[in-house]
Amino acid sequence: MPLFSVEHLSVSYSRDGQAVPLLNDVGLELEAGSVYDLVGPSGAGKSTLLRACALMMERSSGELYLDGVPSSSFKPSEWRRRVCLVPQQASLVAGTVRDNLRLPWTLKVNAGERPPADEALARMLALAELADVELGRDVSQLSGGQAARVALLRAFATRPPVMLLDEVDAALDDESACAIGRLTKALVDERTTCLRIRHRAADGFASGSFELRDGRLAYADAAIAADGASCAEGFDPADYAALQDLASERPAAVGEGERP
Amino acid sequence: MSGGVVDIGYVELFAASALMLVAGLVSWKLELGQTRRIAVSSVRCFVQLLAAGFLLTYLFEFQTWWLVGLVLAGMVIAATQIATSRVKNRIPGLVPSVFVSLLVSSTAIGFIVVEGVIHADPWFNARQVVPIVGMIMGNAMSSVAVAIDRLFSDMDARANEMFSLVALGASPGEAAAPSLKAAIGAGMTPVLANMSAAGIVTFPGMMTGQLLAGADPVAAAKYQIVVMLMLSAANTVAIVMASYLTYRKRFSPDGYYLDKGLRG
Repeated sequence: MPLFSVEHLSVSYSRDGQAVPLLNDVGLELEAGSVYDLVGPSGAGKSTLLRACALMMERSSGELYLDGVPSSSFKPSEWRRRVCLVPQQASLVAGTVRDNLRLPWTLKVNAGERPPADEALARMLALAELADVELGRDVSQLSGGQAARVALLRAFATRPPVMLLDEVDAALDDESACAIGRLTKALVDERTTCLRIRHRAADGFASGSFELRDGRLAYADAAIAADGASCAEGFDPADYAALQDLASERPAAVGEGERP
Repeated sequence: MSGGVVDIGYVELFAASALMLVAGLVSWKLELGQTRRIAVSSVRCFVQLLAAGFLLTYLFEFQTWWLVGLVLAGMVIAATQIATSRVKNRIPGLVPSVFVSLLVSSTAIGFIVVEGVIHADPWFNARQVVPIVGMIMGNAMSSVAVAIDRLFSDMDARANEMFSLVALGASPGEAAAPSLKAAIGAGMTPVLANMSAAGIVTFPGMMTGQLLAGADPVAAAKYQIVVMLMLSAANTVAIVMASYLTYRKRFSPDGYYLDKGLRG
């Protein structure tokens, strides 16, 4: 059974009072342990698809499943806690890097859970090649690329089973984008999956890619070509053992969680 | 109390309107484009206040509780209309929310003051109820308009931030909290500033009125203190109610923010 699946999803938006179809009977399945790319021409509806997957967009039809459980049996905020969308625009709240990384634990949806300790947060920053950023630094003093990575780590730290990344590496230089790719891959374990919109050349981490065109989705396994897949070279998950610190942040498995 | 009031004759009243002519002439000569507005506002002020004077004369003479209630209802409707017309953002369902906020805040605090502090006799005495509730509502009306405008422009400015928060599992209330705080703060600023300036920079309208009517300055001051405290209390109630009743209208039933692209 796929960890996350979408069936018969249709989305339309209204323009001048008329409904314009954007996604038409789209389906996809994401297996645990894999990273997938979502590609397609600009305006095809890639961001809309991710929004719909995170229940942040009205659907005309279709159902979403997490581990076989339909989204309708979750409270929307509980669903989003597990199917976490990271938007393209990094928006940090005013305060320090620490305030931002701990932000998810100030929300009701994580009530009763303890935020990760400073050491775990610092190790995570180091893995994202932000070792020179102190937890106490005010976010107004971060560069655009640094802010993007902090926003990404904020979502990663809660260990959602499904990560939906909307071109989070758009503002980054090649080396930082590779670092994000490696970190993403390291976070995707046997209980996690990830779908990411990318406009860069394949980095070798994705096991398949979905192409969205004219409202339809087509899937292709990743070519085993080594061209430009340099980010994956020398990648060793063992380097990311520090992420085990965050294992306890996982939301309760489907079925154990709070249900309405 | 009325014994001390200097009654202005109608000749003097019309003579005073010559002052308005100065403003009108300046605007006309300098082509400021305000001549029409000056004329309309002057006439409105003239007609509305005189009409209110006659109406209150009648009301004081023949007052019953339901007549007073009717006048108060008319005041809330007018205040709602004025407050909502000042809000630049288009918000569905704004009118009922503002109406309820103004009604509850003004009548609740107004009656507490009229019955508990002034001890009106009879309890619905229009001579106390109408001006007190009117004062509260006039203040609350402006503050609500400021607060609502600020709330919705602040949420639009924070649309990206709220998107991220909701994506992390935040409820609409959690995502909107900083905007609610800012809006309520903005709405309370004028009345709090007035309280700080009272007696040093300004003599508030009501105290001025009582002094002109020949009242004892200390008695007038005590009255004014009560009025300012009640204004700030009613203001707070009105702003908080209006903000909390309306912010959710910019979120979908599923709890995500309806940014400009999604409002259709």
